[in-house]
Amino acid sequence: MSRAGSKEGIRQSRLSRIAPLARLGLRVGGRYLARSPQLIFASVERRAELRHDLALRSAEEVAEELGSMKGVLMKLGQMASYVDEDMPQTFRSAMSRLQHNAPPMSPALASSVILEELGDAPGRLFARWDEWPFAAASIGQVHRAITTDGRAVAVKVQYPGIARSITSDLQNVALLRRIVKAAFPGMDTESFIAELSERLREEVDYLLEAENQEYFAQYYEGHPFIHVPRVVRELSTARVLTTELVSGEGFERLLQWDQHERDMAAETINRFVSRSLYRLHAFNGDPHPGNYLFHGGGRVTFLDFGLTKYFSDRDLAPLVEALRCLVVENDGACFRSALERAGFLQAGAPVPTETVVDRFGLFYSTVLRDEPMTITPAFASAIVRRFFDAKGPLAPYSDVPRSYVILQRINLGLYAVLGSLNATANWRRIGQELWPFVLGPASTPIGEAEARWEAQRAERAEVSAIR
Amino acid sequence: MDHLKQDVNHMEPLARAFSRSVSEHPADDGLFGPQSVVWRVHRDRSFPLAGLRSLMIQALHPLAMAGVAEHSTWREDPFGRVAATSGYILTVTYGDTATANKAATRVRAIHSHVNGTDPVTGLEYRAGNPSLLLWIHAAMVDSIVHVVQRYGRGLDSAAADRYVWEMVRFAELVGVPPKDVPASVAALEEYIESVGLLQATPAARDSIAIVLDPPGLDEDVRELWRELGHVAAGTLPAWARSMYGFEEPAAESMEREPVRQLIGALDIAFESIPGVMEARERIELRMRQ
Repeated sequence: MSRAGSKEGIRQSRLSRIAPLARLGLRVGGRYLARSPQLIFASVERRAELRHDLALRSAEEVAEELGSMKGVLMKLGQMASYVDEDMPQTFRSAMSRLQHNAPPMSPALASSVILEELGDAPGRLFARWDEWPFAAASIGQVHRAITTDGRAVAVKVQYPGIARSITSDLQNVALLRRIVKAAFPGMDTESFIAELSERLREEVDYLLEAENQEYFAQYYEGHPFIHVPRVVRELSTARVLTTELVSGEGFERLLQWDQHERDMAAETINRFVSRSLYRLHAFNGDPHPGNYLFHGGGRVTFLDFGLTKYFSDRDLAPLVEALRCLVVENDGACFRSALERAGFLQAGAPVPTETVVDRFGLFYSTVLRDEPMTITPAFASAIVRRFFDAKGPLAPYSDVPRSYVILQRINLGLYAVLGSLNATANWRRIGQELWPFVLGPASTPIGEAEARWEAQRAERAEVSAIR
Repeated sequence: MDHLKQDVNHMEPLARAFSRSVSEHPADDGLFGPQSVVWRVHRDRSFPLAGLRSLMIQALHPLAMAGVAEHSTWREDPFGRVAATSGYILTVTYGDTATANKAATRVRAIHSHVNGTDPVTGLEYRAGNPSLLLWIHAAMVDSIVHVVQRYGRGLDSAAADRYVWEMVRFAELVGVPPKDVPASVAALEEYIESVGLLQATPAARDSIAIVLDPPGLDEDVRELWRELGHVAAGTLPAWARSMYGFEEPAAESMEREPVRQLIGALDIAFESIPGVMEARERIELRMRQ
């Protein structure tokens, strides 16, 4: 290889390592690091970045920064994280710009929200209260505090007036429609707006998030690899969410760890998604890098449950069926009819079943064969491209039904995360442990530990039932 | 390819004008200073709407319009032209004294070359004529007060009077004797009603049509921009609206909330252009000191 060639090769490989993460970062708004409490112990740096000098001092200043569609469009940008291949440049940069610059609340303003919500000043409610936040959230900010009984907590405080302004902005459907149409030409505008509205209305209510998080936290209690911080109910309201404070390493740091560590973390993330779906019938809808804390050895803390979707058996059945038909039975006709029942494909579309298997099959390619597979950034991009392909042979006949929009988003996000980790595993075996039609044996050390946890969990449940 | 690239964002000239006008290292606080109402008002997010309304009213003076139609690159580069004006206003507002005066000197020099005969009325015009400049000034100040009070961050009547009074300096800079410049909201309104000769000439209609739907605007912001134009037309006084033949807009489309949402959506596109946010922060920080 010539010198120039090898140089090119190096540049290529560096780019391919960085690019997906950079893109991911851009998609979630360039601010994802700031959104998670991972920087607990680096809060000094963080503070420098959160512009104190520009701190918002009144509800009016909040409205100027985040009202008049800005908050809503910011969320739109987040939701569109994996759709942005289609997004015109103006909007793409706008989205990232917007999130990059939401200044924090001044201590007095944050304190006034706490007072209004919890009935007392933070200095009296908590044994220790950090008056400046250590992280930003999309419609609020997160403070570190210590409760009067000595627990370290993260307190998410919502910007004042933001709930009302978001509600009003969402009512301006005509304007939203124009923006969505222009920004995401390939998307079904109406269902996208409906999803956006539903999500935002949920997200502004921290009590819902508290409920979701507790649901996950209780289920995963004692899990050897998966941790969900507990909610402190008595210090949480619709605008204030107090949870256990967890420290760990961020995604960027994980990328510097060795491949074995990355593989284990990826396995745990993958298990969390499958287990939550098949056992809890719930999906936490925000699989972006800022929502994880890594503790080494495959142990991961999952944060941010503002976007949780629950599935009924009816929602889930055709997906399970499609999986079974394709992956276990290798039966194209059966696969196709399951996709039709789920609403992904129009019944009677004039396309051969082989094409359906070929096009949709890509989404199952990590579990098609019983062998280790590496999820590369290139593979993750191919999946995203295929998903949003508006020109392929199936495009005129395929759709994402509303109840699955968030599921798809999570899947694409998951691939992007696993891809940037270059994660290798026998995904088929791991999947089989949880697929209801297989319920295979533990296939990895993490799987074995998880099986023991599950057995103990069942035992505990029995004991408590007898009592 | 370069041509395509250029089309990416027509707001860029405006953004560049904005960030250049707000110096990073000003020698002093300029002609007005961070505590002035002028500073507060000129950073309002509703400014593009005020700008559109200004242009619509200014263009109704045939002699002012003729000068623009015959002497500027208006047709070829409407955004560049608007950016030049907006850059001037912002420089005089936020620039230091020397920079503001230099900008005013340049504008006076340009005006001195803009002379001719208006094809519609057959009257001679000189851009340096103080009475024409006063019209331009008054239409702008009136529009800013109207729009910021209705859709902006708020301006009570005392602050509005104070603003009009502070702005006398603006007119003086381009050569209008200060004694002729209205110094209160009431005086401003009285003056505007007193001006005769107004009509929507073909040149005015033509240039306003360009403003409302500039050629080559990105599809993604085009609809929003047109919508903003409708709102601007809706804010015109009845006499101005009827000269253009604009219909009266539906009351709900003129309400504060939806208009602010529209402005907010466009502002995101503007703010996302590198340099804009930083310039806004510089203004904000100096006002906080």
